[in-house]
Amino acid sequence: MKQRQVVVFVSLLAFVLSLLVGGVLILINGDNPIVAYASLLKGAFSTKDNVANTLATSTQLIFTGLSVAVAFKNGFANIGAEGQLYVGAMAAAIIGIFFPLPGFMLLPLALIMSFAIGGLYGMIPAILKIKTGTNEVVTTLMLNYVAILFTSYLVNYPLKAPGAPIGMTNNVQAGAKLPVLYHGTRFNAGFLIAVLAAILVYFYFKNTVKGYEMRLSGQNSEFASYLGINVDNNIILSMFISGGLAGLGGAALVLGIQYRFVQGISPGYGFDGLTIGLMANFNALAVIPFAILFGAMRSGSLTMELLTNIPSELSSVIQALVILFMSSENSVTKYIKDLLEKRESIKKQKMKMKGGVDHV
Amino acid sequence: MSSFSIIFSPEILAATLRSMPPILLAGLAGIMTKRAGIENIGLEGLMLIGCFSGYTVNYLTESWILGILGGMIATTLIALVFGFFVIVLRSNKIIAGVAINSLGAGLSTYLLRMMFGVKGSFYDPRVQAIPRASFSGLKSIPLLDTIINNQSIIVWISIILALIINLILFYTRFGTYVRAAGEDEEALATSGINVKKIRFITIIFHGMLCGLGGAYLSTGYLTQFIENMSAGRGFIAMAAIAFSGAQPLRILGATGLFAFVESIAYRLQSINVPSYFALMTPYVVTVITLAITSHKGIKDKKGRRLV
Repeated sequence: MKQRQVVVFVSLLAFVLSLLVGGVLILINGDNPIVAYASLLKGAFSTKDNVANTLATSTQLIFTGLSVAVAFKNGFANIGAEGQLYVGAMAAAIIGIFFPLPGFMLLPLALIMSFAIGGLYGMIPAILKIKTGTNEVVTTLMLNYVAILFTSYLVNYPLKAPGAPIGMTNNVQAGAKLPVLYHGTRFNAGFLIAVLAAILVYFYFKNTVKGYEMRLSGQNSEFASYLGINVDNNIILSMFISGGLAGLGGAALVLGIQYRFVQGISPGYGFDGLTIGLMANFNALAVIPFAILFGAMRSGSLTMELLTNIPSELSSVIQALVILFMSSENSVTKYIKDLLEKRESIKKQKMKMKGGVDHV
Repeated sequence: MSSFSIIFSPEILAATLRSMPPILLAGLAGIMTKRAGIENIGLEGLMLIGCFSGYTVNYLTESWILGILGGMIATTLIALVFGFFVIVLRSNKIIAGVAINSLGAGLSTYLLRMMFGVKGSFYDPRVQAIPRASFSGLKSIPLLDTIINNQSIIVWISIILALIINLILFYTRFGTYVRAAGEDEEALATSGINVKKIRFITIIFHGMLCGLGGAYLSTGYLTQFIENMSAGRGFIAMAAIAFSGAQPLRILGATGLFAFVESIAYRLQSINVPSYFALMTPYVVTVITLAITSHKGIKDKKGRRLV
């Protein structure tokens, strides 16, 4: 097995193990795990509407998964996609509500601003790390709550729609809405933008010098700076892109699903992005299928709850387990590789002892 | 009432003491693992497990002390899962910590619906609240009577625990091993100490402290279980750890400060003043403090920053 195959194997293993543990929880609940998972699949994929809704949820997850992939690939542990999504969503909402522009300018402007604001917000922990050495895990986590609380303030006070029962803004103008792709659902053009973004990020890392530098810094920053790569600048740039992508996820949520900013708009898409990015091994194209997988779990779990007795929260338990299993990915991958190499070398030795031809 | 008299009233100080234990206990738990080189950012999730299991065991046994014990045991079990992944499998501790946060939130809501068939929150009058303590000598002094009397015993226990953990960490052999496990794992191993064992013992302390904090939230601070009732306290605890440089005595001060701010925020909310900026304070203060003080942080042998 090659390195890539081992990685894919470990990701799938983590997923299967999580489903098994989830199955035990279903059994404790007195239900049949197979029936439960079948109804989850049914809810996610059985009709065209269901597929469209699954893809609609996946849109945000592709963006946050990409956000995580870009940051981690450059060696920066960005746990702040959730907060970056919130500020991006707010930027999109403000532009979409207040800017008196025709649609062909309004929508692009809202998207660009959500990217820019999310990106600038993402740059804060990067700059702090470089200038003062602050641990990015703590700062990105803390900044999530700053963003969530600050946007909550905005939608509960200055931007609150008159008479709204909870903190929410007015609707965005019609021209700012992302076009619906499948009638009767919220599946919208944001999905296409997300896929395009994934392709761009993929080729950025694969085919550009900057992308190559970032990958190298992520693998070994000392070596990279020895080669004359400006590691610090690359971290700032990659966190701008990472935060921007999460911000676009927020824009997709506001302009494609909710059409307004509602307090607490994301049910943890930023943290889902971490799972997705990890399972995809930070490969931008691999983010897409994993985002669809987790989108399916989110949208299918509601159907599962209707058809069986199982609380839809099961999907968040399974997802937590996936993250837990994935946290050991590196050591397990290494273990498997060592095992394979050992077996390979034993095989070679045996061949030699038999006097066979050494093939390598 | 002017806003000044609201902020500096004895009621606010009483509320500060009341809201200290969860942050303090989770903070002490986090200090233990951080010092041992196995920092867990899943404090929030562990506390939620403590909230749910503490309330449930209390409901089943109608005993506050068994509730606390149940909460501590269940939380320690989940903490041991974290320990197994990080210590034995050498998992990425940040990602494992994120997983514990999601697991705590997911599992507590899933079990709430599975066991009690309710969504959102659960309350039963059978649940026994953790007792409160009053000192009759203070009754005649109105100010101290308001602030100190009628506080849950966990308030005082958690403060004493801060002192004890400070003693353990800095004045016992075990504490030296814990700190060595974080600062120079290889040296500790070379001197014949079982690093894994030290870390697992730390994880047990860690789980018990988080469990106590959680059980206090659902059977002391309030007497009901609400989904996600820890409401970010685990992250405020992380802020307090960073803010205090992982020192048990300093975190006492940091927790007091953050609990004070939290109390003001809730007081402001009740008189309809936006409280979001007050709620934001612990996070903002921590980021700024870290930015200013990071160069002084504790580093391990290879220059990696521990605190």
